[in-house]
Amino acid sequence: MNERATGFVRYLAYAMEIILLYVLGSTPGLLPEIFGAKPTLLLCVALTAAIFEREIPAMIIGIVCGVLIDLGHSNSIGLFTIGLAIICFIVGYAANNLVVAKFTTFLLYAFVTVGGLFMLYYLFGFVWAGVSDHWDYFMNHLLSRMVQTFLLSIPIYFLNRFIYHMLGTDE
Amino acid sequence: MKELWESGKIKIFLSVLLVLVMLSLFTRNVENNVVSSSVNTLTYGLSKVSAAAKDKHTDGMSYDELKEEYDALYKANRELRARLVDYYDVKEENARLWKFYELKKEHKDYQFVPATALRRDSNDEFYSFTIDKGTSSDISTGDPVMGENGLIGYISEADANTARVATILSPQAGIGAVDKATKDTGIITGSAKFADKNRTMFAKLKSEHKVKKGDIITTTGVSGIYPKNLIIGEVEDIGYDTYDTSYYALVKPYEDIRKIKDVAVITSFDGQGEILRSTK
Repeated sequence: MNERATGFVRYLAYAMEIILLYVLGSTPGLLPEIFGAKPTLLLCVALTAAIFEREIPAMIIGIVCGVLIDLGHSNSIGLFTIGLAIICFIVGYAANNLVVAKFTTFLLYAFVTVGGLFMLYYLFGFVWAGVSDHWDYFMNHLLSRMVQTFLLSIPIYFLNRFIYHMLGTDE
Repeated sequence: MKELWESGKIKIFLSVLLVLVMLSLFTRNVENNVVSSSVNTLTYGLSKVSAAAKDKHTDGMSYDELKEEYDALYKANRELRARLVDYYDVKEENARLWKFYELKKEHKDYQFVPATALRRDSNDEFYSFTIDKGTSSDISTGDPVMGENGLIGYISEADANTARVATILSPQAGIGAVDKATKDTGIITGSAKFADKNRTMFAKLKSEHKVKKGDIITTTGVSGIYPKNLIIGEVEDIGYDTYDTSYYALVKPYEDIRKIKDVAVITSFDGQGEILRSTK
């Protein structure tokens, strides 16, 4: 296969992955709730795909996942769409030009970005919005969701690394 | 870094970011906007298929149990093949409507639209869900949503084919309610502390209230948004909210709202919007 064809198949693989994880995450009762929360699977896809892709494709994947996450629980696009667009663009650039994209780097970056995005979600969506028992929500739901999302980003990292190695370009 | 600035990618990035910020402001301020409606329409089919597949999903059954069930179904399928093609669809619809038949008998003025939960979002801690009916079925924002045994919530957003249901477990509920035994009035409002236990709060009670365990809480119907006497649940405990400095009763709904699947939307009833109209 030439470079264009492998690129096309790779993006098709990402698209399938996004659809599959969207269905897994949104179908009622399909994924069990652990400590009152489920992982945000699309966040894992955006973060892991960005580390292997260049800036613009990484940003597009981030936006698609962000839109699906935001519209999943509200009627408007917001924090996750804009946040993932920025993070994926920066990571796409950094992974290709500044740092070596290896597993330990990914773990550090996933930890910081998952924690950061969910903390912003908590601050804007609960603390700033004046929800009286926001601390209960943080302890009983958000913490579990953060941990699950971070942990599940590890197998998805290896899946996307496999996709990239099978269908990546030799740049 | 210099290469990035010179490559033009940064200009694309900043342009996209600007568009996203504008879209964010637009979608936040415009109800039923084209962006969310388009995405909802695109994901509607996907959710419908996955929800249907989940219905057939077996919860934690072993291989032998599955095999046994498969054999039985295979046999049954052979016998049923001769019957009408839409037999199951009609039967399912009938079962769903039957649940609400008693309610309809009691309240002849109610117009119901039966619906099924299409998807639940893992990010929503107050168990809101999306149903498979929308404005094309006469559903509109604010319509009450019933379960088989009582009020579940209300329609918070609606587009052509789907609608989102905000539940009574949400702090945004704000439904006027009354204790049928003591006539104490208050507001139904959810809380993150109780939502995952399928409990809501009958809040803003007066300090001299007489609410007690076991009392039944219903809607007051005074606003014209909800019909009068819709059952919400039963008082389980009484508490004092230090944040709000008022008493509240912990209410256990008669449905498990976290898992409910079949609901009915009340699209019209006698007295709907009367107070709203009279205050205009």
